[in-house]
Amino acid sequence: MILIVNTTTDTSITAEIRELNKDVEIIEAGAMKISNCIGCNYCWLKTPGVCSIHDDYEQILKKIIVADQLWVISDTALGFIDHKGKNIFDRIMPVVTMNLKFKGKQMRHIMRYDKRTDVGIIYTGDADREYLERWNSRAALNFDSNSLGVFPVSEIKEAVSCMY
Amino acid sequence: MHVLIINGSPRVKKFSNTDKIIARFAEGFCENGNTVDVFEVSDRKQWDDIRAAFAVNKDIIIALPLYVECIPGLLLEFLETVDPKNDGTKLSFILQSGFAEGAQLRCGEAYLEKLAGYLGCEYGGTLVKGDNFSIRLTESEDQDRQTVPYRQMGVVFAGKGSFDDEECRKFTGPEEFPLMVRLLIGFVFRTLAKKNFTKASQAWGCDKPLDYRPYGQEN
Repeated sequence: MILIVNTTTDTSITAEIRELNKDVEIIEAGAMKISNCIGCNYCWLKTPGVCSIHDDYEQILKKIIVADQLWVISDTALGFIDHKGKNIFDRIMPVVTMNLKFKGKQMRHIMRYDKRTDVGIIYTGDADREYLERWNSRAALNFDSNSLGVFPVSEIKEAVSCMY
Repeated sequence: MHVLIINGSPRVKKFSNTDKIIARFAEGFCENGNTVDVFEVSDRKQWDDIRAAFAVNKDIIIALPLYVECIPGLLLEFLETVDPKNDGTKLSFILQSGFAEGAQLRCGEAYLEKLAGYLGCEYGGTLVKGDNFSIRLTESEDQDRQTVPYRQMGVVFAGKGSFDDEECRKFTGPEEFPLMVRLLIGFVFRTLAKKNFTKASQAWGCDKPLDYRPYGQEN
């Protein structure tokens, strides 16, 4: 399953994706109530796998753990995805456990589920694309997966060509 | 010298590892009559005051935990509301994380250097160090072992006015662990660490295994 989480309020982006690829699941999160991660560690230590914040992110999390691909559509700020986009990533902590291992040369958390979800970003506005590419490759390590790439909305066709 | 320190952690001050680090750092920094003001981004009621302090201070440190390889969403949200400066302000960072190796923080560090520019400030370097996850889970001497080394970094910053210093670079520790050390730590992860995390979990009232799957085994 290909999951698309649109954190912008511009639904024309997802409409275009839908037109190019019918086989995607879209969540319009632009107007949803999604808090930042508060770093409470409950999802690792108190209620394993369950976030202490019960907001609209819960339904997104339940989809992520069965998705082959996660695409986050985000506005940008300070050369990066904006806080609404970043919060989607910060809140994934319930998908990993407290336990650690070495993956290659670096420490990583042991995944909670079997599914591996690759991640990609589609962004509006100005961003440091080279940095975002680097960051998304690192972010994918948190899913024990790979980066699908980082695309400005002007290259949405290229992004959609990766959605299979 | 006066420095504004902004705690960029989204975790409440009481449980904030970054807060404990700042406290030690400030001890060293203030030794020779220097002064600090400390604010917490986790408390939204302070945001107006932090913006006002950001506007008038010329030496600023943002201390933050690494969240998914970069800055936490809440700090980003706050910074989106800050007016860029362009008045020669020096902005430095204390970047800390749970993962222990320096290499884990480099992607975040790279962003902080760019961030100083986006905020119209000169970059005063980043003090980079991991292995801080258990500060909140420990007390007294065990906690001191992790936080007290930051006191010396406060002394260095007071002398230099930035983290562009060999002692600060060394403070990071190893970029990655050599194979033998990885094997050893890996063994600790599977045994002692696992046991300790389970113990901490039970102390928090948890009755599930740490690898529990609340949303089923459907994948």
